[in-house]
Amino acid sequence: MAQPTEILKGTLGLLILRTLELEPRHGVGIADRIEQITRGTFNVKAGSLFPALHRLEQEGFIAGEWSVTEAGRRIRAYRLTPAGRQQLIAEKKQWARIVSAVGLVLESD
Amino acid sequence: MPLVPKIVSFWRTLVRGRTIEVELDDELRSYVEEVTARKVALGAEPSAARRQTLMEIGGLDRIKEEVRDVRIGRLAEETFRDISYAWRMLRKAPGFTLAAVTTLALGVGANTAIFSVVHALLIAPLPYADPARLVFVWADQSSEGYPRAPLSGPELIDLDTRASLFDGFGAIWATTAALTGDSEPEQLRIGLVSSDFFSLLGANAEVGRTFVAADETSGAPGSILLSAAVWQRRYGGDPAIAGKRVLVNGRPTTVVGVMPAGFRLLMPPDAAVPDDLEAWQLLDRALPEFPRGQRFLRVVGRMRNGVSLADAQQDVARVGTEISKAYPHYGAAGRKFETVSLHADAVREIRGPLLTMFGAVGILLLIACVNVASLLIARAASRTRETAVRVALGAGNGRLFRQHLIEGLLLTTVGAITGLVVARWGLDALLALAPPALSRLSAAEISGPVIAFSLAVVFTWGVLLSVAPLSEVWRVRLANAIRIDAARNGGGGQRLRTVLISTQIAMSVILVVGALLLVRTFMNVQAIDPGFNAGGIYSFRLASRPAKDRGLAFGRRLQEELSALTGVAGAASLSHAPYDHVPNWGGPYLSRKGAEPSTAPQADYRSLSPGALELLGIRLIDGRSFTEDDDDNARLVVVVDNRLAARAWPGESPIGRRLAVDPFVTGEPKIWATVVGVVQHVRHRSPVEEVRDQIYFPQRQLLRNPSVYIVKATGDPAAIVPSVRDALTRIDPALPIYDVRPLTAYVEGANATRAFTMQLAVIFALVALTLASVGIYGVIAYSVTLRHREFGVRRALGAGAAQVIALVARDGARLLTRGIVAGLVGAALVTWFLRGLLFGVSPWDLATYASAIPVLIVVGLIACLLPARRALATNPVDALRSE
Repeated sequence: MAQPTEILKGTLGLLILRTLELEPRHGVGIADRIEQITRGTFNVKAGSLFPALHRLEQEGFIAGEWSVTEAGRRIRAYRLTPAGRQQLIAEKKQWARIVSAVGLVLESD
Repeated sequence: MPLVPKIVSFWRTLVRGRTIEVELDDELRSYVEEVTARKVALGAEPSAARRQTLMEIGGLDRIKEEVRDVRIGRLAEETFRDISYAWRMLRKAPGFTLAAVTTLALGVGANTAIFSVVHALLIAPLPYADPARLVFVWADQSSEGYPRAPLSGPELIDLDTRASLFDGFGAIWATTAALTGDSEPEQLRIGLVSSDFFSLLGANAEVGRTFVAADETSGAPGSILLSAAVWQRRYGGDPAIAGKRVLVNGRPTTVVGVMPAGFRLLMPPDAAVPDDLEAWQLLDRALPEFPRGQRFLRVVGRMRNGVSLADAQQDVARVGTEISKAYPHYGAAGRKFETVSLHADAVREIRGPLLTMFGAVGILLLIACVNVASLLIARAASRTRETAVRVALGAGNGRLFRQHLIEGLLLTTVGAITGLVVARWGLDALLALAPPALSRLSAAEISGPVIAFSLAVVFTWGVLLSVAPLSEVWRVRLANAIRIDAARNGGGGQRLRTVLISTQIAMSVILVVGALLLVRTFMNVQAIDPGFNAGGIYSFRLASRPAKDRGLAFGRRLQEELSALTGVAGAASLSHAPYDHVPNWGGPYLSRKGAEPSTAPQADYRSLSPGALELLGIRLIDGRSFTEDDDDNARLVVVVDNRLAARAWPGESPIGRRLAVDPFVTGEPKIWATVVGVVQHVRHRSPVEEVRDQIYFPQRQLLRNPSVYIVKATGDPAAIVPSVRDALTRIDPALPIYDVRPLTAYVEGANATRAFTMQLAVIFALVALTLASVGIYGVIAYSVTLRHREFGVRRALGAGAAQVIALVARDGARLLTRGIVAGLVGAALVTWFLRGLLFGVSPWDLATYASAIPVLIVVGLIACLLPARRALATNPVDALRSE
């Protein structure tokens, strides 16, 4: 398991959108998924997860709905909205640009 | 994020705030449960697992707080915080808040009340359908001394048939008629109208209908349209009144309908059509066959859609030219028709006073706002420490700016709301105070546009005055940076306040000068000799006379009986009381045989009983007045005024000259009368101008009804009223007496608008002075506080009371001098607008300007008195110890 790392400022939104790309998830599900994919590098805390979720919902990129799990627990699951899908595409491109730019800087002599 | 969803979401957050809180709770609880359950599944003990989860999260409240931040948005949240902070600050300083809100409420209230009147009378369209297309038509007879003369019946038809740009023309003429039969007889002021008059205006009846053409056909019964006032007063608002029969001048007449309660005819003031008519009837059906010279119709036209006023003017002028050629009767003078927008003309005479009042309350609002700004600055100065702390804690310029803006706007909002309440009362008071002559003021109401205007004005000022204290804030920032004790160094804000208060004094000077000019005007008008003396005279009218005792015999008997009463110096009767609303009577006259009738000068006619000239104190210049011998058995005689005499026979004695007159208003002066006397011109239509030449007929030869009876008392005129009533009852218990009032009441009525304008101006000036004195007091008192220590030291060093007072007075004097000088200059510029309202005094009357100065000085001194006493009371020891 990799060393847990602070999520880069501003990337949590992107990660959440990506996580929701395939299916709706609730808070714990999103945190689990991010931790799982990054093999434990990113451990999303509730303190940053919920404000981020509500900001994304406020901006109309995701929508939360209440549902009940098989275990009978009420959960609020979020799904990607069409606007969120577009935002994800835009942010992915942006991220790719940042990565390549930063890479260029780091690899230059 | 685009603006609209942002607003929607923000709004949802506001209204659904509670739901969101609950949902957030649920969501977080579910999160905690799930994480805890997972720990339990790994073998942890439930309560320990839960504790650990909560610790990992680091406090649910913090998360909620952050989510809320996200939800509401920083700006909105800070604004809310600022508002609640501002609200707390206002509540913590009730004295300041009360002073500021009262001041604002006064300013806004006065402004809104007056604007509601301005809006109703000058801005809002006339209460008729499509009023912009309505025009007033008159004949220009300036050369005969009658610039806006009425038209004749045939001329109304000419306009209808020859004018091409109009939908139609309607006509009205005011007269009186006796309503009898169903209860007490009474005389009504009646408008005689053409049958299409109301439909032309687009005014409909409340009950029944207005007139239709069928009412005019021969054989149709007489018809009458009632005002709501008569309907209520006489028929108790009977809903089935339409179709009922009443007696008008003894003739059976059908009530066709009732006009709505607020309905007024808004005719030009010199049209001799009062706006408080009590009923309407149709003009004589034979009108088109009336002589062309019989001119009495006031004509209203409705322009076709899209026709300009200029084109309409050309159109009616062309009709005038055409008929001048077509009918030789008009002679050399011809006919000149003129037209003007009905609205513009209807408000011509009140526009000046109204706009003056509007300007005055505008200045008043300005003064009020300056006061509030000054209060805010003083408060900002007293909150120096708080500001310093906020600045030290990192409050940026923008944040401080917003805080002040919000405090100012909150104050303005409270002031504006209170002001609207004050405006309601103010308007009620205004309407109660308004003379009957200004009854059309009652159309004013605090309506939507009025409120919108007032709020727009007050919030503009609100923004400006919330920014004023920032000067003080900048100073604190500066002081903070260089670490001086800002609280003890009251410089910048005080300087700005000084400027503000000087401005305020200047504006008060303008209002005081304006009010004084109007007071002078009023006094000048009061001092005018109108040519008669109403003092000691009581007057009344009779709605009908005893059936068996008609005409001259009754008049003679009444005059004898009344004269014989104790306490009565004499009694007489005449056709018109001065300045009354009885429709005027007059016509052209010829002063020599063969004179051109078309250019004959116009005169007002009056009919007098013997003794009337003497009772009224009308000065006889030459010849004699009327006697009982001037009756049916004698030749027709007249008394003329000196104005007519000078025009007709300049430099010669008029006595014994012959004059052709037209007392029966046929349109042609054909009846020859002999001049037996010349009297001083009487200003019976306007106290401030001579209107027309005057011809008096002996009542015994030419009786005109209804007469006004006058009784002159040897003592208090009111004291003889009971015995006059007794005497009338002795003659006939059924005599209906009305309009019982001292003759001076008519004179007051004629001056009422002027008196009203003056009273309002004086009230506004007094309010301005009060506000200014509060302003002066505030600045001086604050400077005394700032110089507390200085006064202490001076006292300690042996300064006497006089010296300390002089120090305070010097501050006050500096404020006053600047303010007064600026105010006098300002007044000289502004009072020019008053010139139309002034009489016998120039807008730049030096004496008036000079007399404003001591008023301001006294007010200023009074305002300095309290602070000076405080300065005197400074205990040197305390002042030094407080260091």
